Amino acid sequence: MDKTLAGRLSLALLVFGTAGLCVLPFVANDYIVGTGLTLLMWLALTQSWCVLSKLTGYISLGHVVFYGLGAYLVVATWNQVPLVLAVLGAGVLAAAFAALVGLPVLRVKGPYFVILTFGLSELVKYSIMAAESANGTASRILFGTPDLVLIYFAMFVLALLATALLRWASGSRFGHGLRSLRENEEAAETLGVPVVRYKLIAFVLSAAIPGMVGGVMALRSTYFVVGQVFDPMISITVIAMALLGGGDTVRGPIFGVLFLFLLQELLWASAPLLYMIILGTILIVFVLLVPDGIVGLFARRARPPGPTR
Amino acid sequence: MPFIDTLLSGQLLFSALVTGSIYALVALGLNLVYGTMRMLNVAHGDLVTLGAYAAFWAFTLWGVSPLLAAPVVAVLGAALGYGLYRGVFRHLLGAGAANPGRMEGNSLLLFFGLSILLQNAAAMAFTPNNRAYTYLGDVVHLGGVAMTGNRIAALLIAGTTCIGVALFLSRSSAGLAMRAVIERRDAAYIVGVDVDRVQWSSFAMGFGSAALAGVLMSMLEQFSPFSGFPFTIAGFIVIILGGLGNVMAGLAAALLLGVIETYGVALTSANLRSVLLYGCFVGALLLFPNGVFARRGARG
Repeated sequence: MDKTLAGRLSLALLVFGTAGLCVLPFVANDYIVGTGLTLLMWLALTQSWCVLSKLTGYISLGHVVFYGLGAYLVVATWNQVPLVLAVLGAGVLAAAFAALVGLPVLRVKGPYFVILTFGLSELVKYSIMAAESANGTASRILFGTPDLVLIYFAMFVLALLATALLRWASGSRFGHGLRSLRENEEAAETLGVPVVRYKLIAFVLSAAIPGMVGGVMALRSTYFVVGQVFDPMISITVIAMALLGGGDTVRGPIFGVLFLFLLQELLWASAPLLYMIILGTILIVFVLLVPDGIVGLFARRARPPGPTR
Repeated sequence: MPFIDTLLSGQLLFSALVTGSIYALVALGLNLVYGTMRMLNVAHGDLVTLGAYAAFWAFTLWGVSPLLAAPVVAVLGAALGYGLYRGVFRHLLGAGAANPGRMEGNSLLLFFGLSILLQNAAAMAFTPNNRAYTYLGDVVHLGGVAMTGNRIAALLIAGTTCIGVALFLSRSSAGLAMRAVIERRDAAYIVGVDVDRVQWSSFAMGFGSAALAGVLMSMLEQFSPFSGFPFTIAGFIVIILGGLGNVMAGLAAALLLGVIETYGVALTSANLRSVLLYGCFVGALLLFPNGVFARRGARG
C-alpha cells in the first residue's frame, strides 16, 4: 500500500466507509438509508464510467443511456419476470447495446466521440419517448416494489462490483493496454495492443453495471418517466465526479463522488439552479486549474515539486 | 388529397428555407471557432438563447424593434467572445500546445461547464418559463405561399450574413488569413499570419453570429433558458456535412437539414422532431467518423 496522504486517507475511508455503509440500514431511518443509496448509486456509476473513459481517454457523455435502458427494461417487464432476472437482464441489455453500437461509435475519436455519445443517448431517449407516447404510456406506476433495505444492498453489491472492476482493470495487462491507447493509439497498435478489441471490451464492461444500477433505481421510485431515467444530467454529474476526483485508480472517483454528493445533498433540493451553477463553475475551475483532481492535489502536497531523493 | 397538396406547395419549402438559414448562421460561428482553434463550443446554442433573451427584453421592456436590436446584440455577443478569449481560452490554448488531444477534451469540458452555467444563470435571472413575443406577424401572400414578415426578415438577414461572411473569407486578406489558419495552422503561422488575431476575431465573429441568430430565432418561436442545445447539435450536423471553413457548403448543408426536419415532421409528427435531429447527428458522425478532416485531408 502506498504511503501518501491520499493513500492512507483512502484506505481508512474504504475500511470505515464499507463497514459504515454495511450497518447503515440497520441503525438509520429510511431517509438516511435513501441518501446512502444515492451515494452508492453515484459510486457505482462513476467507477464503471472510469473503466472506459478514464483509462482510454474516450470521454463518454452518454453513460446515462445504459442506466436508462436498464431502468426501462425492469419497468417494461414489471410483474412478468422475476425481479432478479429482470435486473440481471438490465445489465445484459445495456452490455448488448454497447456491443452492438461499440464498433462504429468507438471509431469516432476525440471531442467528436464525446458529443456522439451524448447524441446517441439523446437519440435513444427521444426514440423511446416517441414509442411510449405512440403506445399511450407516457408514465407508469409500479405497485409493490421491494423493501428499501433490499434495494440498498443490491446497490451496495453493484458499487462494490464496479469498484472491483475498475481496480482489476486498472492493474491488469488489459488496463495497461487501455492506458497505452490513451497516450497514443497508433503507437499502441504498432506495439501489438489489440486496440479495437480492448476498446470494445472496456465499453461493454463499463455498460453492464449502469444497466443494473438503472434497473435497481427504477424500483426505488415507484413512478416512472422515460425522460427522467435518460436525464443527461446523470452523465454530466458522473463526469464531474470523476474529474473532481482525478487519478487513474479507484480512489479518485471515491473522493469526487463524496465531495459532489455532499454538495448535492446541501443544495439540490433547496436551490437546484444554484447547485447547477456551482457544478458548471467546478467543471471550469477544475479543467483550468486542477486538471489532476483532488487526488492530484494530495499527491502534489505529498511530493513537493523538484527532484526527489 | 390536401396533405399531398401541402407537401407540394411552397409553404413547407419556405418554412424549410427559414429554418435552414438560421441553422446556417448558427453553424457559421461554430465552424469558425472549431476551425481555427479545434475547440468544440457546446455552449454555442446557449449564446443563441442569450441573444434571444436580449431581443425579447429589448422588445417587451422598451419596445425596441428586434431588427434594430440585432446589430447591437451581435456586437455585445462579439465583445463577450473577445473577453472570454482573452480571459480564459488563450491561456488554455497556450497550455495545450504540447498535447492537442488533451486540449480538445479539456476545452469541451470547459465549454460544457460554461453551458451549464449560462443555462442555469439564465433560468435564475429570467425564470425557466417559455418566452415569446409577436413582431411583424402579419401574413403576406407571395405566389400562393403565406409568409409572415418576421420569417421573411429572418431569412433575408441570416442569408445575407452567411453570404457576407463567405465573401469575407474568400476576398479579404483577413478572411484569407482565417481560412489559412483553418486549413494549415502551422503553415499559416510560418508564412506570417497573426494567429492570435485570427483566433480572437474568430471567437468574436462566432459569438456575435450566434447572438444574431438568437435575435432572429426569438421572432419566430418560443424559447427557454434550456432551448439552446438543439441549436448546437444542428450546428454540428452542418459542419460535419459542410466542411470546416466552407461557408457556402455549410449553407447548403443547413438548408438540407432544414428540409429534412421540416418535411420529416410534416410527414410524421412533431414528437419526432428530436428523433430526426439526433438521428441525423448520429448518422452524420458515423458516416464521417473523423468529422470533416478525413475528406479534406487538412489535419494538423
